[in-house]
Amino acid sequence: MTRSSIELGDVTPHNIKQLKKLNTVVFPVSYNDKFYVDVLEAGELAKLAYYNDIVVGAVCCRIDSTENQRRLYIMTLGCLSPYRRLGIGTVMFEHILNYAENDGNFDSIFLHVQINNNGAIEFYKKFGFEIVDTKEQYYKRIEPADAHVLQKTLRRKNTPPNSHHQNHHLTNGAVNEKKERRT
Amino acid sequence: MPSSDPLAPKEGALFRKILKCYEMKQYKNGLKLAKQILANPKYTEHGETLAMKGLTLNGLGRREEAYKYVRLGLRNDLRSHVCWHVYGLLQRSDKKYDEAIKCYRNALKWEKDNLQILKDLSLLQIQMRDLEGYKETRHHLFTLRPSQHASWIGFAMSYHLLGDYEMANNILETFSQSQTSIEAHDYRHSELLLYQSQILIESSHLQQALEHLKKYESQIVDKLAVRETMGDLYIKLQQPEKAVPIFDALIRRNPENVLYYEQYLIARQVSEASEKVALFREFQAKYPRALCPRRLPLNIATGDAFREVTDEYLRRGLRKGIPPLFVNVRALHQQVDKAKTIEALALQYFENLTRSGHFSREDADAGAPVEPASALVWTALFLAQHYDYMRDTDRALECINVAIDHTPTLIELLITKGRIFKHAGDAVEAYIWLDEAQSMDTADRYINSKCAKYMLRANMIQEAEEICAKFTREGVSAMDNLNEMQCMWFQTECALAYQRMGRWGEALKKCHEVDRHFAEIIEDQFDFHTYCMRKMTLRAYVGLLRLEDVLRRHPFYFKAAKCAIEVYIRLYDKPLKSEATIEEIDIENLPPSELKKLRSKQRKAKKKAELESAQAAQAQVKREQHQKSKQQATQETDPDAPQLDELVPEKLERTDEPLEKAIEFLKPLQQLAKDRIETHLLAFEVYYRKNKPLLMLQSIRRARAINSAHPELHSCIVRFMKALKADSDQRRCNAHVQQVLDKANQELIGTKTPQQLNDEFIAKNNASILHLYEGARGLYELDASKKDAAINLITSFDLSKLRLEEAIKIYMALRDGDVFGECEAKAAAYKQACHNRFQYARIFRNVEELEAQLQEKVAAKLRAEQEQQLNHLDVSESAGMADAAF
Repeated sequence: MTRSSIELGDVTPHNIKQLKKLNTVVFPVSYNDKFYVDVLEAGELAKLAYYNDIVVGAVCCRIDSTENQRRLYIMTLGCLSPYRRLGIGTVMFEHILNYAENDGNFDSIFLHVQINNNGAIEFYKKFGFEIVDTKEQYYKRIEPADAHVLQKTLRRKNTPPNSHHQNHHLTNGAVNEKKERRT
Repeated sequence: MPSSDPLAPKEGALFRKILKCYEMKQYKNGLKLAKQILANPKYTEHGETLAMKGLTLNGLGRREEAYKYVRLGLRNDLRSHVCWHVYGLLQRSDKKYDEAIKCYRNALKWEKDNLQILKDLSLLQIQMRDLEGYKETRHHLFTLRPSQHASWIGFAMSYHLLGDYEMANNILETFSQSQTSIEAHDYRHSELLLYQSQILIESSHLQQALEHLKKYESQIVDKLAVRETMGDLYIKLQQPEKAVPIFDALIRRNPENVLYYEQYLIARQVSEASEKVALFREFQAKYPRALCPRRLPLNIATGDAFREVTDEYLRRGLRKGIPPLFVNVRALHQQVDKAKTIEALALQYFENLTRSGHFSREDADAGAPVEPASALVWTALFLAQHYDYMRDTDRALECINVAIDHTPTLIELLITKGRIFKHAGDAVEAYIWLDEAQSMDTADRYINSKCAKYMLRANMIQEAEEICAKFTREGVSAMDNLNEMQCMWFQTECALAYQRMGRWGEALKKCHEVDRHFAEIIEDQFDFHTYCMRKMTLRAYVGLLRLEDVLRRHPFYFKAAKCAIEVYIRLYDKPLKSEATIEEIDIENLPPSELKKLRSKQRKAKKKAELESAQAAQAQVKREQHQKSKQQATQETDPDAPQLDELVPEKLERTDEPLEKAIEFLKPLQQLAKDRIETHLLAFEVYYRKNKPLLMLQSIRRARAINSAHPELHSCIVRFMKALKADSDQRRCNAHVQQVLDKANQELIGTKTPQQLNDEFIAKNNASILHLYEGARGLYELDASKKDAAINLITSFDLSKLRLEEAIKIYMALRDGDVFGECEAKAAAYKQACHNRFQYARIFRNVEELEAQLQEKVAAKLRAEQEQQLNHLDVSESAGMADAAF
């Protein structure tokens, strides 16, 4: 795969429709306008993934402050099907993980996934996620409607390390943060 | 020479101050000083002071007063060179160059050696291309100031422009010998040497030019020009072996210059295609990143060799994902066998990429690494473009849909889908896809422009303007800004859209705007006359002068001029009613119910018109304010810019002399685009309507010289014959004219009657629909009773052999009824037949069907939105979906 390049780029008002298009194709649910308004403010927490200069994937996160915790919630992370198994998801996830680690004030990263989505579950387990909960009837119009909650606990820099933590193996450098398309 | 009406010392000093103030642009101070002189009872009528007052007022933008005072001054002192010079300057600032030249000449009568006036005169002469006059003035300047460089250069150049290379070269030679010390890297000296070599080359003294270059090579800074010129000279002087190392080195310097490779191949004296390809192979190895040595062999190679080089070229492009890959090889499609090879290769890639991710079965069998995942989508795009070029709309759409399903985020795919619909005759569907593409990347100006263009093709002018506004300056209307930026493609497409919609005045306005851009570009060269001489960039300067001479040869001008001429012809054929008479309809013969409907309609229309006129009045006020502020702005920056008449569509389309206006656009075409047959066909249409037999004949002869088999030419000849006959029935023209016409008659059709000529034409060209169409026109034109036969002649033509453009041309002729008279039923039948053949073409579809389709689309959009609403409810605030495998 030496001929291919994977890069991440910002979501801007100019290319937001590419993100919408991508999410429409990749996910069985569609997101409302507020979702996309927020994404524009999300900075490094929302990224498009370019494979050989084509938008093929995207990741959108937000910071969740419920349950007396500061957690990073992955709202969407997806890739067009012909471009799967090429390492694009890994680049996107590592970018997010990197962000959380550098920030140092997150308790964990968590997300929802449909219970039958084994591919995704495997993917996140590889990065040290665990199924911590299962919510019944989480999705309304798709089958199966149940969702697992996957969570990866992080080490907080500013609090004493009294809670348990795992070692993460990180590969940096694969993440290229800025990508401007021709204007 | 003293003034003819001298001032006293005190006033004289004031007058000199006025001149200073004018130079420094301190116009207000200048006026005060002038007032002081004129206040003296002795000098209230002083001519030169009055003239200077006028010129100063002109600097303030008070044009009318300026003329008044300058003229008054001149009248009071007709023997003053100052007054004449001032009058000349004023005319010049008004772009009345001919008048200005006369004034300068008068000024020189009273002061023949005034350097400033001579210099100003020479500028005007070169601008107006009075080359003889220019030469005299430059000669005069030369004798007055032989020590100045500029005198020599201008003198030499005046001879060069007149084609007297010998003299030009001699002057430069003498001049450069008088130059004693040359500093290193003297750019101006270097340019002068190159200019001299250009003169030698243009006069075919190639050997001399070569020696000149060799001798001065060390002093010339532009090394590239020296190498290029020398290489070229060696080839022309039959010493190719000496050119080889030169072009070899030039290619090393820039491996992307096509010309270098051409010259290199000539220098190497290779003629066999295989040898040429082998040489390109060497360059490929030497410069692995260069594109030229990879693309150029595709033009040369044939058969298996072509397949091999093309295979490499395409794979490389598809692997990297080069968007214009198809455009790069499109030219090869003109050769049928090459197009077939390209198609076969692309199909092979598509099949193998789908199966194994490789370009070929061999790669798969050999266990080569798979190609990037994006190669498949680029291949599908390439195939879609290929089939689109072949006008195989169904297969093109099939391929592009595969590509879009594969990678829906690739914007190029949407553009291509739009283009396919455009070529299939559905401008509306085409624009919808371009609009989608545009919305996916609103920072991309290319897609923005393309989208605007597609909108204009769908006659959506306002929408196009709004799209363009995303990139035009804020605070100004996009249309004004695009005009200011001389955005000619946009204006021409606008004109064509208005023409299609029958909004003749608006179309003309756009055409005139384009014409004005060309006038302005010619105007703009004025500054270069002084600048280039000073900077000694003489080669570029001569190039500029030659370009300006043929400026309206540009395709942009041709397109706009053709549109304008067609519109003016249309306005001549069917003049618009004056605005007042349009409303008068024959009321008396209507039944009461219809009358009632009509009345209510009229009332509504009246109300609407009132509203509109109120709005228009408001807009007018706004425009005037805008104009005023603009005028003030321009006056501050450029007091010299003369005001042009505003182009008003309503006035343009109600001109009294449409044919004269058409001729204004036609003249530059006849002069500069005489190698295009359309020029002469258009000329014929104009002169036919003016009933000018000799000019008709001229147009026919010129068109014949370009392509005697052109279908439209036949119709011209038939109508020419008809016009001659009608003419000679009425009156006899001048005997000499008659003689010329008789001879032409003989030459064009011999002793045949027009009928015979037409019958023969039809028989001879029965395989070409465009010829048959013209034949049918002739048939009807000569004998209206043969209408059915004429229509049958073209409607019975095998539709499967018809191209879309041809079908549209014929259908429109039948539909509009201006070629064969009324024939509604036949037009409807033809439309249906064409619809079956060209299913996508909008023009052949039913209005009802299109509307139903549109409603279906709107409904689908609504459904999608509702669904989204539902989904919103479904997905609770925190719901997420981190999906799929990676």
